[in-house]
Amino acid sequence: MISAVGGCAPTDPASQYQEDPEALRRGESVFAGTCSGYCHGMNIVVGDVPNLFDCSWIHGGSNQEIFATITNGVAGSRMVAFGGRLPEGDDDIWKIIAFLKNEASGC
Amino acid sequence: MTTRRPMYACLLSLFIAACGGGDGAPSEPGTASAPQEAGEGTASTGKTHWTNDQPIGLGMGPVDSAMLERGLEDPTQWLLYGGNYSNFRHSPIERLTPEAVPNLQVAWSFPTGTDQQFEVSPVVYDGIMYISSSYNRLFALDAASGEALWRYDHPQPPDLLYCCGPVNRGVAISGDAVIMATLDARIIAFHRHTGEILWNTEIIDYHGGYAATGVPLVVGDLAIIGIAGGEYGIRGFFDAYSVATGERVWRHYTVPAAGEPGVETWSGTSYETGGAPTWNQGAYDPETNTLFWTTGNPGPDWNGDVRLGDNLYSDAVIAVDPATGERKWYFQFTPHDVWDYDGNTQIFLIDVIRNGREVKALVQPNRNGYFYILDRTDGSFISAVPYVQANWATIAEDGRPIVNEAAMPTEDPNELVCPSHLGGMNGAWTGALNPGLGLAFIPAVESCEYYQKGITAFVPGQMFLGGLYQLIDVQEGRAFGVLAAIDVATGETRWRYQDPVPLMGGTLSTEGGVVITGNQLGFALAFNAETGEEVWRHRLGGGIRSQPIAYEADGRTFVAIGSGNGRFLESTGAPDIVPEGGQLFVFELP
Repeated sequence: MISAVGGCAPTDPASQYQEDPEALRRGESVFAGTCSGYCHGMNIVVGDVPNLFDCSWIHGGSNQEIFATITNGVAGSRMVAFGGRLPEGDDDIWKIIAFLKNEASGC
Repeated sequence: MTTRRPMYACLLSLFIAACGGGDGAPSEPGTASAPQEAGEGTASTGKTHWTNDQPIGLGMGPVDSAMLERGLEDPTQWLLYGGNYSNFRHSPIERLTPEAVPNLQVAWSFPTGTDQQFEVSPVVYDGIMYISSSYNRLFALDAASGEALWRYDHPQPPDLLYCCGPVNRGVAISGDAVIMATLDARIIAFHRHTGEILWNTEIIDYHGGYAATGVPLVVGDLAIIGIAGGEYGIRGFFDAYSVATGERVWRHYTVPAAGEPGVETWSGTSYETGGAPTWNQGAYDPETNTLFWTTGNPGPDWNGDVRLGDNLYSDAVIAVDPATGERKWYFQFTPHDVWDYDGNTQIFLIDVIRNGREVKALVQPNRNGYFYILDRTDGSFISAVPYVQANWATIAEDGRPIVNEAAMPTEDPNELVCPSHLGGMNGAWTGALNPGLGLAFIPAVESCEYYQKGITAFVPGQMFLGGLYQLIDVQEGRAFGVLAAIDVATGETRWRYQDPVPLMGGTLSTEGGVVITGNQLGFALAFNAETGEEVWRHRLGGGIRSQPIAYEADGRTFVAIGSGNGRFLESTGAPDIVPEGGQLFVFELP
């Protein structure tokens, strides 16, 4: 309890989930089933959608910024708002972020 | 360090072949970017419609039902996508023989000015050829000289939702109307001489993930059209519109609603996003007055856990009364599909002898790798024989697949499943059938892939896939194309031509004993129909994705074939050094 107050607690669920293999698997599965079919694959060489594994974040790369992008979408693009749409709600979004950050851990 | 796993290698090929849309695919991948880039959609001047006020044509009069029923008996006409209502694409021209075809010379050529796949099957009537291109450009050309007579560039909205490329496969003709379906899910009729719009009807709001890429089929006074969107969780249907007025006469949904028969084959409320698109053209049997239409994959594509059951009437052929759309029977090829094996490939109606008995058959080279023979009078199953490598299932005596459990998509797949989601054959291109030889000529893909499933959520207007695939055979150069000559009475393959990359162009058969097609390396190809011997190849440039035809005009014999491939070539194995751009080539026999 003291340590939490002292600032050692994770600043967001995604950071915590990066240490949780089950959460990472869940994040990967949601990413594979919802995000990667056409829109965000890995190793995309053709197309106009952002590669999420190249350490470059157009709309901000902090976990909170990515959370906001996924939740609210990007106006004027094909990125729609997924907030409230995933089976386990915000938790799934944080697990996706954990998976993405884990895969791109060298950034 | 970023670790990238090849498992995710892009699904872009989805767009290329499948879902109809291509679906195409999927069928071909995802949402479209705005089409109004240079060279696409509209002319640089902003002009979108060039009408004609001069007398044209040969005075042949309106196209009537009898002409459509005669199909290809008159070599000066090619009226239907399938050539005739049985989809033979078999020209009566006897001069197009294996010996003569090597003498073909280019008579004229015509650019579409658009990129992406050029998948058209031209229509020829009254000395005029009608071709459509990607992004729904429509051209009327003098069939003998290639002179442009009128033109229409459909203004496209910037937020189209097609899965597999902005394609269009051609137009229908009836009366004095030329009818085209559009990517923004409209159906539009034009006067065949002036190009003026006669009517313009919305099929459905495209924002729901709908697009129309196929060719209307005219039966009587109705134009039947299907819809793409199997990757968007749509509710599939096919419609009939009055040729005279453009008013919708009936709609046949391919996924049942709550309380309707078949809904019990969908767990929970999964029928609400069940897919089963109808993006290819059907067939018509005047003798029994039966319309046959095919359906595509259930949604989501690769995760069936959320839609347990057979998922009727996806991946099926449905026989209906053309006047009402009421179903007579159905046959489902791939119950509970989790491989994107759309059942939309070409169907042929042919009477065959089986065990000494004449059978009024419906045969289909299905995307799942099996060549099916059904009794078209009642939909009963006769046989299914693999025509490409197929390890996802064997087929039981009643026609139901016995699924190889190892072929089911998993979250960590390590089983190569054949065929890939591209097929086999695919509804994005055509086969042909020589009734004298009893052979169907089927361009197909030989490849296997990994299928990975994942957790998905339905969001209107977004792709609803539930996983992804890895076209590993394509990526590693093991995929190749085949042109298979299949005995339509037995399903056995008589001969096979092997091409270096997947074949994705259509075919033409001739009474002179030739099969003409093209490959993604940009060659038009011709084969001896009996032996499979290659007798001619001619480099057109762009990869061939179109449906060749033959016709006579001005006393001369022509073969028309379009070149021009899509953007996602790495998914098909085609070389990407060749630029895009649709171009129609018309060859003449000296």
